[in-house]
Order: sequence, then C-alpha cells, then structure tokens
Amino acid sequence: MKKMLLLLSAALGWTLLPVLAFAGGASELVVVADTRVLTGMAKYFANLYNTNIVLFALWATVLTALYGCFLGFLMDFIMSRSGLDLTSRKIVEH
Amino acid sequence: MEFFYMYMPIAGVDVFWPGLVLIGFSVGVIGGFFGMGGAWMVTPGLNILGFPMAFAIGTDMAHIAGKSMISTIRHSKFGNVDYKLGLVMLAGTMVGIEIGAQLVMYLERLGIVGSVVRWVYVCFLALITFMVFYDYAKAVSNKKKGITGEHGTEGITWYKTLHKINIPPMMHFHRAGITCSAWLPILVSLLTGILAGFLGIGGGLLRMPALVYLIGSPTHVSVGTDLFEVMISGLYGAFTYSMKGRIELVAVFVMLTGAAIGAQIGTVATKYSKGYGIRVAFGIAVLCCMISIILKQYHFNAASAVLILSTIGLICLYICKIMFQGAAKELREKKQGQPS
Amino acid sequence: MKKTVAIITTLLLMAAFAASALAAEVAQGRCVSIDAQTLVLEEFDTVKTDANKHYGNPTGIETAFDVSAAKIGIPPEPGDILRIAYVIKGDAKQAIKVMNVSKQDLSKKK
Repeated sequence: MKKMLLLLSAALGWTLLPVLAFAGGASELVVVADTRVLTGMAKYFANLYNTNIVLFALWATVLTALYGCFLGFLMDFIMSRSGLDLTSRKIVEH
Repeated sequence: MEFFYMYMPIAGVDVFWPGLVLIGFSVGVIGGFFGMGGAWMVTPGLNILGFPMAFAIGTDMAHIAGKSMISTIRHSKFGNVDYKLGLVMLAGTMVGIEIGAQLVMYLERLGIVGSVVRWVYVCFLALITFMVFYDYAKAVSNKKKGITGEHGTEGITWYKTLHKINIPPMMHFHRAGITCSAWLPILVSLLTGILAGFLGIGGGLLRMPALVYLIGSPTHVSVGTDLFEVMISGLYGAFTYSMKGRIELVAVFVMLTGAAIGAQIGTVATKYSKGYGIRVAFGIAVLCCMISIILKQYHFNAASAVLILSTIGLICLYICKIMFQGAAKELREKKQGQPS
Repeated sequence: MKKTVAIITTLLLMAAFAASALAAEVAQGRCVSIDAQTLVLEEFDTVKTDANKHYGNPTGIETAFDVSAAKIGIPPEPGDILRIAYVIKGDAKQAIKVMNVSKQDLSKKK
C-alpha cells in the first residue's frame, strides 16, 4: 500500500515538467462543455473543463488512479473468496 | 431503451454504455494477459459506438492507466512484477518517449510524418511477429532434439549474450532472476521508448517482447513489469491529453468498471498458461494489428475495424477459456485433496 | 525524494488553483456578427424539439460577448452555431472559449 502511494505521488510529480511546457502551446481543438443542461458533479467537472483545464486534468488523473486502485483492491478481495490460489503458479517456464 | 444510453457531459452525446463496458472488459482481459495497454484495440471499438473521436485519445489513455493499475495489483500478488526492473526502465522509457515525440515533430516539419510513422510501425510489428514465431519454431525443434536449459526449452537466447556485457553498475533483479549491467534495461527501454513516442502508442506492444528476448526476463514477469510501465506512462498520457481537453471522464469510469472484471480473468489466466502459450497468442494479436494498419493505410477502414474487433473477441474467448478451465481444475483438485 | 515530490505536487496544485476563476456561464446560439473585439450571438434555449434536434430553439435574445481574450476554435462566421463559455466582468460578458458547434464535427479524428 505504501509502495503504491509512493508510486502514485512519484508519477504525479513526474508529470509536471513536460506538462508545463505543453500548456503553452494552443491546441487546434476548442470544445465547450454545455453546462446549461448539467447538474451536480457533472456540472462541476464540465465547468472546470471550460474554465480551468489544468485542475481538470489533475482531477482526471487523480480520480482515474484512485478508481483504478479502488477497483483493484475490491476485485482482489472478491477474487480471494473464490478459493483460488492467487499467490503462486505451478508452471515454471521461461 | 433509454436506460442503455448514458449522457457524456463534455461531449454532449448519448453513448450506448454496455458497449463501453464490453470494450473495457475485453481490453482488460487481453491487456492483463499480454501486459499491454491496448490503445490500438480501444479506438476502433469507440469509433463503432459512435463515440466522438476528438475525445478518444485521452479517454483511451486514462482507461489504460486505470486498467493497468488493476492488473498490476493482481500481477504483483503473483510476484510477476519486478519493481526494481520497472523503475530502472522507467528512466529510459521517459527520455525515449520525449526523443520519439521530438522526432515526429522534426518529420512533421519535413512534411512526411504520416506514412513514415505508419510504415515504421508495420515493419516493427512484422519483426516482432517474425521473432515470436521463429522463437517458437526454434524452441519446438530444440525440444525434439532434447535440448533443454534450466528454464525448460528455449528458442532465441540473445539475452545470454547481452548479459555478458558487464559495464558497471551491475544489478541483480530478484523477481526476474537475472543479473546484468544496469545499462542493458536502460538502453532497451530507451529504444522502446523512442519507438513508442515516435509511433504514438503506449509501447507495451514493443516492450513486452523486448523484455523477453533482449533482457531475458521470464514471460510472466515481462507481462507484469510491462503493465507497471504502461500504468505510469498511461497516467502521464491521460494528464497531457486532458490538458488538451481530449478526455471524457464518464466514459473512462464506465470502461474501467468493465476492465476491472476483465483484468482479473486475463491476469489469473497467466497462471494456467505456459510462457510459450502467451507468446504465441501475443504473436497472433500483433499480426492482426499489423494487417489492420495496412488495411487502414489503403483506406479499408471497415475491414480493419472488423478484423481488430473479431481478433479481440476470439483472443478474449480463448483467454477466458484458459482461465475458467484452469480455475475449475484447481478447485476440483483442492476438493479432492481435502479429507472431508 | 519524498520531499521533492511533495514540493512539486504542491506547486502544481497551486498553479492549478491560481489559474482562473471557477464559475463560468455557457451560452449557445447563432452567430449574428463577429469582429476582433465583439461577437453578437442570438441565444438558443436548451429544449430539443423535432425541428431543432441538436441545437435548441432560437429565443430572439441577442447578446454581445467580448472575445478579445477568448480561445477560439474554427473561426466563426455569421450563421454558425456557436457555444461560448464566458464570465461576467462588470457589465461585459467576457468569453473564455468559443466552440464552433456546427462546423466542428466531433466524431471526426482531430
């Protein structure tokens, strides 16, 4: 778990440098999310998308990582109930 | 029918969500088994669902990062992830991707980027396919002759020569069970990184065989370690493409939910599969990927999508079969083993 | 190592939060006129009817936006359907991003 956290933060920190360079260049595609028809969470994120893309990108990355972690550990829990041996393998082949 | 459609808040379109779950699931199965991201599989699927292509890249990347995380956690339990090797390679991968991207920009200035990239891609896929099958053929003939090494029969053993290079610092990678100069994995990852950046792909397709044939890591450890690498570069990709507004978060989450189940099946299946089984199936996947790119080059878009999707379907079923047969056998044996 | 990561993350967070104000409004409608400074838009509502499946119905309200600092995608021409994210600064409506809805086919690559 600790390893995972460390890795996560390392990955986050690492994204910084090239990204700042990227941020300057304008992309040819401009999309405005239609916040008029949204409510709640979706509205918040669509709004961020329109106004503060850096924070939006940060959220997107962090949430993806968190959800991935969550699903990974949840599935691990479920799989451990199946009675399969999930820590070793018999077939030894290169 | 309304129930099956989900509103994508940023793109502002309704998408058939069971389709997204299915894509996530199949890519999860295949990715967990082969240790690759599978961006090349997601895009045609999204295309068919009518998902706005402008958002495909970022959505793809984020989904792959999350999915690789799920698979890495599972592989890590099997002891298939060599974190040390992964971290050492990470350095090379990053620098490599940057160089590759710069190379593309240079070619762009010369105005020849499109077809050059595509043909380089095809050449490399052809090379990998050739290597996988040549290696397999050699291993089979070695087996017939009765030549077996300490890890069973082997075909290509280039890594043995490469391991003789002893420029310090020498490093021992416990999980992979190899000792070599630290420069070998760095150099290999640099090369695969350059190619990945140049071709605009995650690189699992190239790194997995490179780990097997050039570094000499066992197939299973290659899969696990490669997934770790894919996870980090996927997160990075997700961030940069989100910065360009090319992501639809809702779709990422829906696909991840499907991928979570698929990744379990794919990853556990590696337990019941021989190393060569994985490699040959991988070779077939790469071959189909190559053909689909050639088809695309000549604008047979529909044929290319059909080919990719049917390949995914078949390989996915094959892996599921391995997993469920293996699991059923193990459970049966367990039951018989118990005295009650 | 840990310290560097922490510092970098904090800096990134600060950069992200400091970037701009959070709340923006969105308007969609038909472009009436445009020059380097201002864009006049006839606003549409969000009701989707059979006659207007994609863009909503005209309301007749014409609004002027200051587009001098906006990020504009495909250059708009009068008659195009646009979607604008804007903030209200004093009396003016300052556009942040202008999307050309009718000319930008999202289902196409790039």
